[in-house]
Amino acid sequence: MELCDNPEVPLSGLDTTSVARCLSQIADHGNDLADAFFERLEEVEYPAADEAPGIRVRREEGFAIRLVRDGRTWLAARDQIATAAFGEALRQVARALPSAPYPEPALDPAPFPSLEDTSRLARFPTSVTRAIRRRLAAFPMRLRVRRHRRWIRVIGTQLAPEPQSESFHSCDVDLPWGRFGALIPDLSAASVERLATSLTTLFRAQEAPRVKPTRCGVVLGPPAAAVLLHEVVGHALETDTLMMGGRVESALGLQLGGPLLNVLDDPTNAPESVRRSSDDEGMIAVRRWLLREGVVEQPLADLFSAHDSRALMPGAARRGTRHRAPAPRSTHLELLPGESSLEDLLAETDGGLYFPEVSRGQLDPLSGRFSIFLPHGRRISGGSLGELVGACRLHGTVSGLLGGIVGVGSDVESAGAGWCAKNGLKLPVWASAPSIRIEAAEVES
Amino acid sequence: MTRELARSVLDALAGRGLNEAEVYFKSGRSRRFEIGPQGRIASSSQEEGWAVRAGSDRASFFVAGTGQPTVDGPWPDPDGQPLRLPPAVSIPSWKPPGDLEAPLAGEIEAIRLLEAIEKSLRSELAGARLVRGLLDEGSSQTSILTSRGIEEEYRSRAASLYVEATGPVQGAETARISMASRELRSFQAPMIAHRLVDRLLLQGQGEAPERDRGELLLGPALGVRLLVALLPLLMGGGSDALVRSLRDRRGRIGSELLIVKDDGRYRGGVLEAPVDGEGWPTRETLLIAEGRFRQPLASWKDAKRLGLQVSGCVRRASWRDLPRVGPSHLFLVPSPDVKVASLLAAVARGYYLIDTQGSGRFDLERDRFRLPVCGFVLRQGRAAAPLSGAWLTGSISSWLRGIQGVARDLEFQPWSGMIGSPTTLVTGLELRRNPE
Repeated sequence: MELCDNPEVPLSGLDTTSVARCLSQIADHGNDLADAFFERLEEVEYPAADEAPGIRVRREEGFAIRLVRDGRTWLAARDQIATAAFGEALRQVARALPSAPYPEPALDPAPFPSLEDTSRLARFPTSVTRAIRRRLAAFPMRLRVRRHRRWIRVIGTQLAPEPQSESFHSCDVDLPWGRFGALIPDLSAASVERLATSLTTLFRAQEAPRVKPTRCGVVLGPPAAAVLLHEVVGHALETDTLMMGGRVESALGLQLGGPLLNVLDDPTNAPESVRRSSDDEGMIAVRRWLLREGVVEQPLADLFSAHDSRALMPGAARRGTRHRAPAPRSTHLELLPGESSLEDLLAETDGGLYFPEVSRGQLDPLSGRFSIFLPHGRRISGGSLGELVGACRLHGTVSGLLGGIVGVGSDVESAGAGWCAKNGLKLPVWASAPSIRIEAAEVES
Repeated sequence: MTRELARSVLDALAGRGLNEAEVYFKSGRSRRFEIGPQGRIASSSQEEGWAVRAGSDRASFFVAGTGQPTVDGPWPDPDGQPLRLPPAVSIPSWKPPGDLEAPLAGEIEAIRLLEAIEKSLRSELAGARLVRGLLDEGSSQTSILTSRGIEEEYRSRAASLYVEATGPVQGAETARISMASRELRSFQAPMIAHRLVDRLLLQGQGEAPERDRGELLLGPALGVRLLVALLPLLMGGGSDALVRSLRDRRGRIGSELLIVKDDGRYRGGVLEAPVDGEGWPTRETLLIAEGRFRQPLASWKDAKRLGLQVSGCVRRASWRDLPRVGPSHLFLVPSPDVKVASLLAAVARGYYLIDTQGSGRFDLERDRFRLPVCGFVLRQGRAAAPLSGAWLTGSISSWLRGIQGVARDLEFQPWSGMIGSPTTLVTGLELRRNPE
C-alpha cells in the first residue's frame, strides 16, 4: 500500500494502490478509461479597506471519479474526501457492479495546514497605492488581492503521477471607469510596479481621444500579444474546438500563420509556482509545438480526444472544478522570440497604433471570428510612441490575423495572461511572449 | 448540519469576542448532461459547503469550506471593517413549491431530451446540427443561523438548458439559447429546436437595412437584454446620477407602460424563496412605476441608510460567495390583456426583432447603446422579409420613453438572477447596417 502520512505533503493519506484497484474493477472493457481526481483548494482574500468582512478564507476539498467508454463519460463528484463517499461515487459511475468488489480504499487526508502568514498579502494594496503616487497620480480605487493555492492528485488504473500544486495571486480593482483584473505569479516589488503602471495608464487614458474605425498597422506589447495568442492560437487549437468543425486531424499541417510564428504550450516552463509536470488527467505535461513556423503541429488534446488517434498527444487536460469533466486547454503559451527589437517594430509601423495590454478577448469557434478589447494605446509616429488613445477593439478572423503577423520582437516577457472562462470553466492561464507587429489590423472604438 | 452545531459555532465565536456572527450552510445534489465535442457526459455531484461571517465592533472575517464547520475553525484573526448583520424580523408565510419532492431527471430522460432537440433541428433544417447541448438540474437545502436571532431553512430546485446549433451556411455564427426552469421536464424539445431553426435561417437569409426607423416590436429576448443593460440603474450603489440624467421635465424616466419589479417570491420562479441570502424576507419591490423611478434594489443596510424599502434581494451565488445585492426575478410587468398578435397587427411598417446576435455595447453614462439583432421586416402586420446583421442603436432614454405597447408573454432568462420581459412595441430607435 502506498500511503504517505506526512501532513506537510498535500493530499497525503490517500491509499493510491487501493484506489487504482477499485478503478480497475469498473474499467472492465478493453478501451475503458477510469480515474480519480482529488483536489484541495485554498483562497485567501483581502478586500478593499472599506469593505466588510475583512480577511476572507475559502478552503475546499473533494474528488471525482470518471469512467470513459465508447465516447461516453460518467462522472461522480463529492465535496469531501472520505472512504464511504468514494465507494458511493464509484458505484454511481460503474456500469455494472463487480460481484466481488475490492474493499474501499483508506482515504484519510491530513487536515488543512494552518493558514500561512498573510501579512505580505495584506500590505499589497498599500504598496500599489504608493507606487501610483510615485507616478504623480491619484484616483479612487478599491483593490482586492487574493492568494490561490491548489493541490491535486490524479490516480488512474495503472498510474499515479506525483501530486501537483499551484500557487499564484490575483487582484481585481474597481475604478470609477470600470474594472481591472490581473494574475500575478508573486507579490514582488516588480509586480507592484507593473500593476501601478497599468492602473496609472488606464487612468490617464480616460480623457484620451477615441480611435476612428480603421485598418492599420498595429504593434502589440508582450502582455497584449499573450492574450491574443491565447484566443486565436490556444483556443483555436483545442481539440474540443476543432471537433466542432469536423475531424481534428485535418487541422494538422495547416499553414495558419506566417513563418515567424512558433507557438508552444509548455506547462513545465510556466512560472515556478504554477509549473506542472502532469496535467489534470495525470498525463505527462510536454513541451507542445502548436505552430511551427506557422504550421499546425500538435493541437491541445486530452485523453478523450487522443484516445482513438495516433496523431494526437494527451497531456493538456485541465479541470476548472472536480464537478466538471476535464477539457483540453492551454496552461502556459509561449511565442518564441524573433530578431526585431521593439524599436524596429515601431519604426516599421509608422502611422499605426501600439497597444501594451488587453482587457479581455473572445473567439467564436465556428466562424473563426475573434475580438480583443484594448483599454488604451498609443499612436506610433516617427518610429516612437506618441499620443495616448482610449479604449478600442481589435477584431477579425483567426486566419486573417495570424497571416497578418509580420514581425515578432525579441523582448520576451513572462506574464499572467489572465483568467480563461471558455464554456464556464474558469482557469488561470499563463504565457510568455514578445511584442508582435500586425499588418492591416481592423480596429474600432 | 444540525442547528446544535451551528449554535455551538456561534457560541465559540462569541467566546472570542465575535458577537456578530452568521453560519450559512448549503447542501445539494445536481446532475449535468452534456452532448458535444467531448462526447456524451453524465455527471452527478453531491455538494456540501458552509460559510461563517463573524466580527466584533472593530474587525471581521469570512471563512468558507466544504463539509461542515467545526467549532474550532480554525478561524483567522479578524481584520478590516466591523460587520453588521440584519436583525431578525418576522417572515411572511410562504408555501414551498409543490415540485420540491419531484425526483431529478435521470440520464436516459435527459439525453433523450437533448437527442430530441437534435432530431427536430435536423428535420426542420437540412444541414443544421447541435454543436453543444447542456442540461443541469439540482436541488438544495439552505440554512442560516445568526447571533441576531435569524434561524431560517428552505429548499430550492432549478434546471437550466443551454443549446448551441450551427446551420448550413458556412462561416455563420452559431445560434444559442439559454433557459432556466424549476424542472428539466418543462423544457419542450420541438419548441427549442424551432427557435434555433428560426435564428439559423435568419442568419443565412436575412439582410440589414442601411439605416431605418419605424415601429419596432421587440421580442422578450431583446427586452431582457435591454433590462440587463439597465441593471446598474436598478441595483443601487451610485445609481442616483444615472437616474437624474434620464429624468424628463415631468420626472419620468420612461413611458407610462414601463413598470419594473423584482420579486423574490415570484410564484413558480426558479429562485423563489422565503428569505434572501442573509435571512431577510423576500418580497415584491416596485422599482419603476408608470415610468417613474421609485427605488433601486436595497439590502436592509442600504435601506436603513437611504430610507428605502428593504427588497430582500441579497443573493449568494454559492456557499463560497459573500452575499451581494442582486435581482431575483426582475421583470418588465406584462399587460395581461394584450396579445403579441395584436401588437404585431398594429405595425404598418417596421420590424419584429426576435433575438440578439452578440453582446452589443451599452454606455449608460453617455446614454447610448448598440446591439446586434435579427428578426423580420414587417409590412401591414406581416413578416415581409428576414432581417439579420442589423444593429439596433439609439439612446437608452429613447428606448425607455418609446415603449408604446406591452404584451402579456412574459419570459424569463437566466442572467445574474432571472430577468424577464414580454414583447414590447417601441419607437424612437434605429436599425443600421453599420453601427458607427
